[in-house]
Amino acid sequence: MSETTPVLPVTYPWSRAFWEAARRHELVIQRCLNCGERIMYPKYFCPACMSKNLGWEKASGRGTLYSFSTTYTWPPSAFAAATPYTVAIVRLAEGVQLLTNIVDCDPAELRCDLPVEVVFDDVTAEVTLPKFRPTPSGAS
Amino acid sequence: MSLRSKAAIVGIGEVPSGLYPERAGLESALESSYQAIKDSGIPKDEIDAVIPTATFYDGWYNTNLIFSRLVEELGLTKHAKINLQAVAGGASGAALLKTAMGLINIGTARTVLCVHSEKWGSAPVQSIIDKLATFGISEEWDAPYGLNFNAVAGLSTERYMYETGTTPEQLASVVVSMRKWAAMNPNAFLGREVTVAEVLSSKITSTPMHSRECNFLCDGGSAFIVAAPEVAAETRTPVWVWGMGSRVTHYSLGQERDLTRFGWAEAGRKAFAEAGITPQDVDIAEFYDSYPIYCLITLEELGFLERGKAGQFVLDGHTWPGGKLPMTTNGGMLGQGHTGAGGGMAILVEAARQLMGKAGPRQVADAEIAVETAVGGTYMDAHVTVLGRERR
Repeated sequence: MSETTPVLPVTYPWSRAFWEAARRHELVIQRCLNCGERIMYPKYFCPACMSKNLGWEKASGRGTLYSFSTTYTWPPSAFAAATPYTVAIVRLAEGVQLLTNIVDCDPAELRCDLPVEVVFDDVTAEVTLPKFRPTPSGAS
Repeated sequence: MSLRSKAAIVGIGEVPSGLYPERAGLESALESSYQAIKDSGIPKDEIDAVIPTATFYDGWYNTNLIFSRLVEELGLTKHAKINLQAVAGGASGAALLKTAMGLINIGTARTVLCVHSEKWGSAPVQSIIDKLATFGISEEWDAPYGLNFNAVAGLSTERYMYETGTTPEQLASVVVSMRKWAAMNPNAFLGREVTVAEVLSSKITSTPMHSRECNFLCDGGSAFIVAAPEVAAETRTPVWVWGMGSRVTHYSLGQERDLTRFGWAEAGRKAFAEAGITPQDVDIAEFYDSYPIYCLITLEELGFLERGKAGQFVLDGHTWPGGKLPMTTNGGMLGQGHTGAGGGMAILVEAARQLMGKAGPRQVADAEIAVETAVGGTYMDAHVTVLGRERR
């Protein structure tokens, strides 16, 4: 990634706390303080009850690999230097899910429902992306 | 309110898909419109509404479409009641049909021209891949991770294979089916037949997708005329809308809860119920096919086959020419080519073409009922339309 400019998330005021937490190497989930809904990705108001009374909770950072795809050819230009790379959808233990990358592994060893854990990629001095890796065997 | 036979498709037009750098987007739109109007037999001055969908190639041309250029080109300035753009990505054909039927059934229009054109094939491939990496893809939650459309299909395919045991050969056979139909379609770009072995020997793009399982970006255009029942009844080959269903299940692919089902089952139940038929009554399945996986999911979720059985069904040749369920008979985006918002629209036009009996060498004999599907973005929505030759 060092040779290309990374694609940085275009953030919104109501998601800023998520990205600030990521910069501290914490994964957080927005939580509705009215109905209790866990909200991923962060929203302007609760998509379940429309309450604007929203807060944040720290996530476990653990989940399972719902699905994955490793891109070898025809990536978007900004990802040419990072290819091959693995796009994935991870289901967190808290029940919500997010799109991410799987890193620190041989893509050939991935399979659906593999346990994964969050790692933090400081792509610039200001921006950190939560990514995931297979949970080392023996850990739980 | 039931939509059954509240409108009909009465004319169709299409230009060949492929690489036509000298052909302006406007020309593809005008030629397709010309053919559709002539095909309908309705005088052009009776067109009340023009609904172009979007082109993503050229911003200036797209604003032409939004701001009524086609009304002027068609000489409708003394008559036209409304010009509006309707866009739902790959589902735009379904969005145009629904919008046209809405305008007809609120009394704004009796005859509506729906039209699409695109010039993706004329642009450098990498530039369109980069553009597509912003279509239905969140700038905050997806793009920073390099989500691209081959990977979008890869995510669904990987999970589907994991849950159902479907094999690479079964998936590749969808491409074989598409190419067999495309070989009989003069408007198709990829008209050469392929074997399962050839598909599986092509390079991996994004796992588990092979390059021949990925659609080809093309220039193209198509159009159709939708008419009110009293107008349609006077035309030569009306194709009646019997039922429609649809569901939107996500924006960001990361939030889709079931990449192996989406909203197809609910959309299909609604469409079949409104039409008063079951999948067993269907003669032709005109399914959106930008990648093989989506045809398999649709075959199962719409009730044609049990979960996990669609791959072998296609591998056994049942969707090929002469098979018991002809599927995507223009060759789809894997055969005719992907023209953006028009990829799905070409499949809707093909459904009408077959029921009109105008499909030439690939005509399915005695086709009375077709079911057509469309989907846009990262497979955000599911549109199902049942069409019939009879007014019922």
